[in-house]
Amino acid sequence: MDPPLKGNRDMTQFIEQIMFALMLSSTYALIAVGITLFFGAINIVHFSHGDVAMLGAFLGIIFYGLFGFMGLWENIPLWLMTMVIFLLVFIVIGFLGTFFERTVIKPFRKSPLLMVLVATIALGIVIRESVRLFYPQGSNPQVFPKILPQVNFEVGHLILRFDHFIILIISFLLIFFMFLFINKTKTGLAIRAISQDIEAANLMGINSDIIIAITFLIGSMLAGLAGILIGSYQTIVRFDIGLMGGIKGFSAAVVGGLGNFYGAIVGSLILGFIESLTSAYIPGGAPYKDVFAFIIVIFFLVFKPSGILGRRAPIKI
Amino acid sequence: MFEIGLLIFIETLFFVLVYLFIILEKTYSILGILGGIILLSILINKVNRLHSFLSECFSKYKTIAILYGIIFILALPILLWEYPYQIFILFNAGLFAILALGLNWQIGSTNIVNFATGASFATGAYTSALLSIHLGLSFWILLPIGGMAAAGIGFILGLPCMKAKTYYLSLVTIAFTLIVYLLLNNLRWTGGPDGIADIPFPKIVNHSFGSPIRLFGLEIPFQANFYYLAIFLVALTFFVDKRLRYSRIGLAWNAIRNDEVAAECQGINVTYSKVMSFSLNFFFDGVAGTLFAFCMSHISPESFTFNVSVTVITIVIVGGMDNAVGILFGALLMTLIPEKFQVFQNYRMLIFGFIILIMLRLRPKGLFPQTVRKYD
Repeated sequence: MDPPLKGNRDMTQFIEQIMFALMLSSTYALIAVGITLFFGAINIVHFSHGDVAMLGAFLGIIFYGLFGFMGLWENIPLWLMTMVIFLLVFIVIGFLGTFFERTVIKPFRKSPLLMVLVATIALGIVIRESVRLFYPQGSNPQVFPKILPQVNFEVGHLILRFDHFIILIISFLLIFFMFLFINKTKTGLAIRAISQDIEAANLMGINSDIIIAITFLIGSMLAGLAGILIGSYQTIVRFDIGLMGGIKGFSAAVVGGLGNFYGAIVGSLILGFIESLTSAYIPGGAPYKDVFAFIIVIFFLVFKPSGILGRRAPIKI
Repeated sequence: MFEIGLLIFIETLFFVLVYLFIILEKTYSILGILGGIILLSILINKVNRLHSFLSECFSKYKTIAILYGIIFILALPILLWEYPYQIFILFNAGLFAILALGLNWQIGSTNIVNFATGASFATGAYTSALLSIHLGLSFWILLPIGGMAAAGIGFILGLPCMKAKTYYLSLVTIAFTLIVYLLLNNLRWTGGPDGIADIPFPKIVNHSFGSPIRLFGLEIPFQANFYYLAIFLVALTFFVDKRLRYSRIGLAWNAIRNDEVAAECQGINVTYSKVMSFSLNFFFDGVAGTLFAFCMSHISPESFTFNVSVTVITIVIVGGMDNAVGILFGALLMTLIPEKFQVFQNYRMLIFGFIILIMLRLRPKGLFPQTVRKYD
């Protein structure tokens, strides 16, 4: 068989990189969407949203081990157990995120922005350190179990990984459902109302307190699942991936326009592509990929702080 | 005369308790001393007659009280001549005090939450270390150079940030700290993860800072040299803070904190004030960094992580936003207590996180909130 032409090989490598970038972007999007949603709803930035995702990954590991301990892996097919794990993490992290909101964010709702900001960062620290200290061997990287099928399928000369593909599909579906929820349901309408003007929404009979809790529920659910997906493709998780992850999610949301749902997706795409392409195609660039991503973020913050899709909001007097 | 006597008595009581706290090792004794200090403070606060009486005495004989305090601080290494590590802890407290006083200008006065202390600290340390090793410059020149290098970085960071609002600004500072840490870890000329070693000790008139001080027949460990230098720099920073607070810049900062739009309408150049706060804060962080590098004689990126920024922020929040004395206390607390309770070393960050949350809920202005400005 002829060896593939060099052009062909570069091409296939390029397409594989694109696939990877898409998948990376989709995981960032899951976190960014949550952050932008929270900002839209109650005008705060949840700096520890990434750590909520990290909790999702660790919870996935715990459940996997638990099921193994209960001997369930032999009897029940892999895909069913995987879906059960997804569902469980989805629900548990959703409520955990809401719990965090009730205890740490709600008390500061009337306080100056400074305090909420520091409070969420402190919350992130507490979460990170708790995992580091109380999870066995917490400070070491943990291996994430292979719960997605590890097959590759070939299209011509392309070798695409099935699990990357699944991650992409799941993220896409989740974001799509979230989009439907926000735009087509009554609760979604309430969330949008609160983003526009919380007092007017209250006057209209919307219980803003409960709606905010629901917002955090959905956002944290997505984050929890993002954690599992990230764990699946990186196969190694550490207690501090939440810090970087949260910052990248926030950066993605900001680049796209904070408060704007589509903006979160656009921003995640930009960030994901920059990160993976610079790491692949700039020689010796891999350890600096975060630096490139942040430089782009700083560039946006300086020249277009409202993001790509955001509106320039006048300062309220 | 009786009042002076009482004042000196209470101060001595405090000093003795603090001294014992520093040197005792057993957990129970430490807890006991801590309990004693807290009890004393509560007693003075709650018993109104005692409180007003002491306040009167203090304001009447302020000079004597402060002088006594200064004598104690200067004499401390002599009293601790058998405990070099404790002197080193106090030196650390001094470093954090400088960092926190600088950060206070941004958080307490101008309401900019700056998480880049780790980065500015690193800039000062690495700049002076590299210059010392490659160019052989003396420590005393490097102190201001390290400060200015960090201030330059602060200026560069501050300028583009001025368009950004609160959250974005904090995000940029966090990202900046992480980037600096990444760069320090990966670039070859910063030494990578091993850092820079063999930084020489400073010298003053033939007395190297690495050799112990010989005084009254006692040999005081060499850490005392750095302790005195740190105390001097803390005093300098404190003095600068005081001057700034009552200057146009300090007023401008507080005005910006209260209402940025109104401040701008009043004619205050908001951008200039904010960039000044960045540069000044970073300058002192750089100076502290230089001091740190020359005391440790070996620096690595591990000392300049995001955790450093968090620790300094904790000090500012706990000690009191915009209150210099409170911050000094906060720095002392946050350095001494984790060191004494060694069993909590691992839990340090977790405890700091909880402390921040609790303080924000219960006493958001800090243990010692900002005193009302005196207009005289």
